[in-house]
Order: sequence, then C-alpha cells, then structure tokens
Amino acid sequence: MRGTLIFAGSSCPDITDKICHNLGMARADAELTQFSNGETSVRILTSVREKDVFVVQSGSPKINDTIMELLIMISACKGGSANKITAVLPYFPYSRQSKKKSHRGAITARMLANLLGVAGVKHVITVDLHASQMQGFFKCPVDNLHAEPLIARWIRRNVPRWQEAVVVSKNAGGTKRVTSLADALKLNFGMVTTDKKRGPNMSASMISYAFDGMERQPVLEPISNQVRTNSSELENGTPDAAADVAQPQDARSAADAQGSPRLRPNGTHPRGPANRRKSPPRRSQTTLSQSSIIDELDEDLDDETDGLEYNDQRAHEVTHGRLVQGHIVPDDFPSPATSAADTNLPEEDPMMLSHASSFFAPQPHALGGSGDAGASSDEEDDILKDPKVEHMITLVGNVKDRTVFIVDDMIDKPGSWIAAAETVVKRGRASKVYCIATHGVFGGDCLEQMQACDCIDNIVVTNSYPIPAHKAQDASKLVVLDLSFLLAEAIRRNHYGESMSPLFQHLMD
Amino acid sequence: MSAEMANEIKLISGRSHPELSGKIAKRLGIEVARTISLNYSNQETSFTVGESVRDEDVFIVQSTATGDVNEGLMELLIMISACRTASARRITAVIPNFPYARQDKKDKSRAPISARLVANMMQTAGANHIVTVDLHASQVSFFSVPVDNLYAEPSFLRYIRENFNAEDCVIVSPDAGGAKRATSIADHLNTAFALIHKERPRPNVVGRMVLVGNVEDKVAILVDDMADTCGTLVKAAAVLKENGAKSVLALVTHGILSGNAIETLNGSVLSALVVTNTVPLGDKVDRCPKLRVIDISPTIAEAIRRTHNGESVSYLFTHAPV
Repeated sequence: MRGTLIFAGSSCPDITDKICHNLGMARADAELTQFSNGETSVRILTSVREKDVFVVQSGSPKINDTIMELLIMISACKGGSANKITAVLPYFPYSRQSKKKSHRGAITARMLANLLGVAGVKHVITVDLHASQMQGFFKCPVDNLHAEPLIARWIRRNVPRWQEAVVVSKNAGGTKRVTSLADALKLNFGMVTTDKKRGPNMSASMISYAFDGMERQPVLEPISNQVRTNSSELENGTPDAAADVAQPQDARSAADAQGSPRLRPNGTHPRGPANRRKSPPRRSQTTLSQSSIIDELDEDLDDETDGLEYNDQRAHEVTHGRLVQGHIVPDDFPSPATSAADTNLPEEDPMMLSHASSFFAPQPHALGGSGDAGASSDEEDDILKDPKVEHMITLVGNVKDRTVFIVDDMIDKPGSWIAAAETVVKRGRASKVYCIATHGVFGGDCLEQMQACDCIDNIVVTNSYPIPAHKAQDASKLVVLDLSFLLAEAIRRNHYGESMSPLFQHLMD
Repeated sequence: MSAEMANEIKLISGRSHPELSGKIAKRLGIEVARTISLNYSNQETSFTVGESVRDEDVFIVQSTATGDVNEGLMELLIMISACRTASARRITAVIPNFPYARQDKKDKSRAPISARLVANMMQTAGANHIVTVDLHASQVSFFSVPVDNLYAEPSFLRYIRENFNAEDCVIVSPDAGGAKRATSIADHLNTAFALIHKERPRPNVVGRMVLVGNVEDKVAILVDDMADTCGTLVKAAAVLKENGAKSVLALVTHGILSGNAIETLNGSVLSALVVTNTVPLGDKVDRCPKLRVIDISPTIAEAIRRTHNGESVSYLFTHAPV
C-alpha cells in the first residue's frame, strides 16, 4: 500500500510480519533497544514524513516495557511528521483494569488510553476489548474487532458434531460473550458459577428452604435446621449432609431461585425475551417465574433436540459440585479443615444466612454496570486456590454427552478454567471440553496446568498475544488461530477509508 | 482535631525506593500511607490506596530502579491516576531521578523526545506538581505544571567542607555541558576549576579526553549529575591522575550505576564516588567500597513541607537542611 508504513513493537514481530505479508509489503525498519539503565531506546530508521503509520504492539511478560516502547515509537513517529499514527493492539494491555474495582483503585485502562492520545495516536485498532465500554476512554476513533467470526468458523470446520455442542460461560459476568457465540452457531448455552466464601456446610437446602417456602417442603429439614442454629454447629455438621442435599430435587429448586437474581443485576440477560418466546410460560409454579434463564434454556433444548421429550424435570438442569483447592471433589470428600468462622463473613448472623440474603448479594461489579467485564479472574483464581475454603460450583444447563465450549475473552490463570472443565465433565458428564478465548495470555505455568488437566481436550486461542514457541510446542492441546488476516484487512480498510462492518459479520461456509 | 481534618500531607511510596520514602516520612514526622501494589501474573501493575486521600495533599515518592525504569514509571503513573480518581486535592509527584531525562532532544532524524513524552504522561495521569532533583532546565520546561527542581549542590558543598580543605581542591567538570554546575560549586568554595573536554562518538562510549586547567597536587573533585556506566568518570579520573592530581573523587547526584559500573569503579583510580540516594542502590554499597552515599531526604522532605504549607522553596537551592 502506498504511503503506508507498518512498524512492529518488540513484542510481536511474528504477527506483524504476517500482517505485512497479507498486505504485500515489508515491515518498516526500527531499532528497538534498551539502554543499560533500563530506559527504552527507539530509532525509526525510515522516513515517516506524511506517511500513514501503523504501529503494532501486543503484550509481553515485560508489559510495562512494551507499553513504554509503544508510546515512544508513536511519539517518535509524531516527531518525525507522520501524517496519521494508528496503534494496532491485538491485545490491549491493562484492559482488565477498566473500572474502579476497590475504593481508590486506578482505572489504568483509561489512563493508558489517555497516554496513547498524548503520545500522538490518531486511531486505535484492537481486538475483543475486555469491556467494550473502554472504547469511550479514547478521544480518537477505536475499531474493536471481534475474533468471534474466526472462532465460529474454526468450530464449524474442526469440531465433530459441533451442532450438538453447548457453549458454557465460566462466570456470570461473561454470559454476554458466550450467548453471542451461541447465537452465531445456533447452539445451546450454559453457565458455571462459583459461590465464594461459603463454609463446607453451606448446603443447597438452606437456600431452597428460604425460597421455596410454601411451595415445597424441604426434604432434609432436620439438617437445614441444624445448620441454621449457630456457627459452632455449622462447623460440626457432617460433610455428608452437605453432599446429600446437593442432590436432585432440592438442588434444582435452589438454583432455580438463584439463577435469575444473580444475573439480572449484571445486565446480562442471556437473550431478549422476544427472541424465542414462542409459547406462553408452560409452568405455573411461582418459583419458575424467577428462572427466566432456565426457562429459555429449556426452550432452546426443545427447539433443537427433537428426540427428547419435554418434561418438568428437565426444566431444572442445574448441577452442583464441591470445589476444594480449585478442583472438583466427590461428594464424600472430607471437608477441608476449616471453621465456619473462617469462611463465613464474620459479621454474618447465622440466622441471616438462612435467608440467603448475602448469598444473592450482587457481585461487586454489578454496580459498575459493565456486564461483559466480570470480576478480575486473578482475584477469582486466588480465592479458588485457598486451601481452606470450599466452594459450591453450579452448572446451569444440560451438557450430558455433548461437546462443551467454555468461552471467555482471555486465558490468564488456569484455576477457573480447570474448575469449569471439571464441573462440566465430572458433574455434567460432558463428552469433550474445548477452552476457547481470544487472548491466550497464559500467565505463569497456566498453559502447562491446562495441558495437564484431563478434563480439557483442546485449548483454542488466537495469536493476539505472543505465545513463546517452546511453550506452544509442549502443549499438544493448544490450537492458535491466526488473526493477521483480520488485522491486515482492518489496516487496509482504514487506509483506504472503507467500511469495517464486513469484518464483524459471520461468514457462512 | 486538626490531624483529622482534610488537606494533610499524604505521603505515598512506590515500590522502587521505599527506603527513601521512609526517611522522608520520618523527617516529616508522618507515616507512609497504606497502599497495595502488586503485579498480576501477566505482570500488569495494580495499585490501590489503602486509606482515604479525598481532599488531601498527596505526595507520591517514586524513584526508578536501574534496569526497571519502565516498571517504576508505569507504577508512578498508575499511582497518580489512582489518587486522581480518589479525589485527592493536589497530587505532587516526587521523582528524585527523572526517568528518560537524557532523551530530551531530537538529536537525530526521528529521534523521540522521550523526556517530553514522560512529562506529558505524568500530567495526563493527573500530576499537579512535580518535585525532582537536578533536572536540566530544558526539561523543566516540558511541563506545564509547576516543577520544583531541587539541587544536590548544597549537600555536596557541605560534604566537601566537612571532608576536605577547600583550598586543596579543584572542581572538575567531566564534560563541557557540566561546566556551569562545576563552576557554581567552585565559586561557592572559592576554589579553582578545571574542565575535561571529551569526544563522545556514541552514547555510553567515551572518546579522547583533554584536560583544560591545572590539577597538579590538588584533590580533584569531579562533579556530574549522573553516573551510569561510569566509563566517563573513570577515564576522566585517569586523565586527572596523569595530570598530577593528588587524588580524585567524584560527586554525582544520581548513581544509576548500570551494567558493569561497580566493577569499573572498583578497578579505577577514583578514591571515592559520592552519590545521593535519589536512586535505590541495593547491594551496590556493599559491593563497592568506594561508594559513599549522601542522604538527600532532608532536602526533599523540607521541599514537601514547604510546598504543602505554601512557603518558599528557594531557601533549599542554597542550603541543605541538617
């Protein structure tokens, strides 16, 4: 392309070369080094005067160096009288810090957007921002490309019997992303949620008792009464009791009541009600009015699985599991040595627990409002790994004997992925599990752990974030999809002033 | 009561130089504010202020450790940004050694003016005021917010007066650019002055050196703002020794000491390298017996106190608080 220069940051020469190859041009020359004191040095070796400049930079283990390099490259191009500078960021660094999580935390993603503006960026091209609201952080135009069409096409071409697969979100915050892929492929979807800060005896019956109230007599009333008396008895409760109650009838009603209130505050109503509501509600129980998700899920099942007859039981496709140290354990697994005082919030009165009010407290980010950016998976994972705390993990949706696609935007820490995979396999009896994300960040030994997990069959990511060759070689489950065509096309369309919209559409083939 | 009221000094420390922050806090008689700084597994920096800074006068002390400049800089920006969103009344970035200070001019085609970029970044993050030590005047003008550029010179003058007889000394600038700094010290001490002219073919590579002035039988004191790889200093020291100096020592504000600096120093004719503690030195003091450290924290603490109370800072340009 005439008048265009594409520079590669040191984090991603490979994808830049592929982009340049797609566009039939050579990467522009720049010397990127560090002085001995650690300061980044950039030398732009070709003239950029009046050129349309694109700077490609992804993330790397030295993320702050990468950012500084990007900013200095942009600044150098601006100082060299470039006509327009576009930052091409397949992975937008700090995108998870896009809102004030705690009191007095920084909104680093917004600051980074401002820094890019200060350095001289006139346009940003990126892929699958963690929260799409982040586009509003920039004063300049942002093209937030989607890898979803690419992933959907890969699924259609490579997954046997993909038509019967189920797309599963591994947390409530990510359901929007998941339903989008499910819609594109016309598949069912499900959800896995982990409940935090619960003692080993926080049993399903407690919730069902509170919510079922008049309708349904708790099957294990003596146990739930015992649990509700005080915390010392909580401690002494038999582990089997908890396991026993997490069995069909009660468990279902528990999640029935739970599904809707947990999701609504996040604004992630899975599908527009008008979308699939063909028949009026078929059930008259009051509990079901709260369970719009399961309602719709069930209708999906009806629509697409002809062989199975509808019955009332299947409306409650909710499975529970016990999660200790990030792994699913059998029902008779001994409880971790912990006291109720450790795991329950200290200020909570046991009587309050029985109302399950805190159980349904909205997640911290519910107030932040951004539906598709869940709580940081880092924090989530840290809690999962706490050996003292047992979690209840809940699977909503039917995955039995089906292939499951667990989808999120980013794989960084393995804990929540492994927990979700174990849940759908061990509790939901899924036949195969694909972990799918746009950004394969793979912090620490994440890739090794996921490779070692028996419940994960394939890990599918794009090359938005560079994966070291030696790591990728050892991971036989890893599939890396190439984003370079998408990015090259975005660059080409940008340069010639063409519309981006076709890049967001799914290509049927 | 007044202690509970807003607009007190809140001193926030980055992770790069907690020792300096601690000394400043002690000097001011306050505690360093509680903060949480950590790196996620993908090495992204996360920062949270652990106590309210609403309507407070926030001072963020962050140096940049040698080799981890970008890490320290990003942390500083995130800290500023966090305090901004937490409704601090004023945010002063206390940056004893300003990162990227040397990349301040477009000396080659398309060379980035990184120092200006860094200045703009700090303002964008939300800094209202900058306190730094021995920054070049040209870089001070990159900022549109007020900059208090403190000098290590008063501390150096005291060090020389306490350790040497001023008449025996000659102040030497290792390059033409530092002549002003060296003459200023020489004038204050009423001593002689010399200058070494050097040809520098590439950064961090030292060419031929010529001495201008007389150092015979004198204690030659090299003065500079920054000691990085120490190649220049050591060569200059050798030149001074060849020209008959009794002994040679160097007074440098920022002891960056990267690469093989310590080995270079240990094998040199320099009798001592005196630096201030603007840069975290780690174990370098133990590895290099020639390294001496002047504590700059009283000057910085006094600047913070005066800035907070709206008093003049100019006293500190000529006097080092004891």
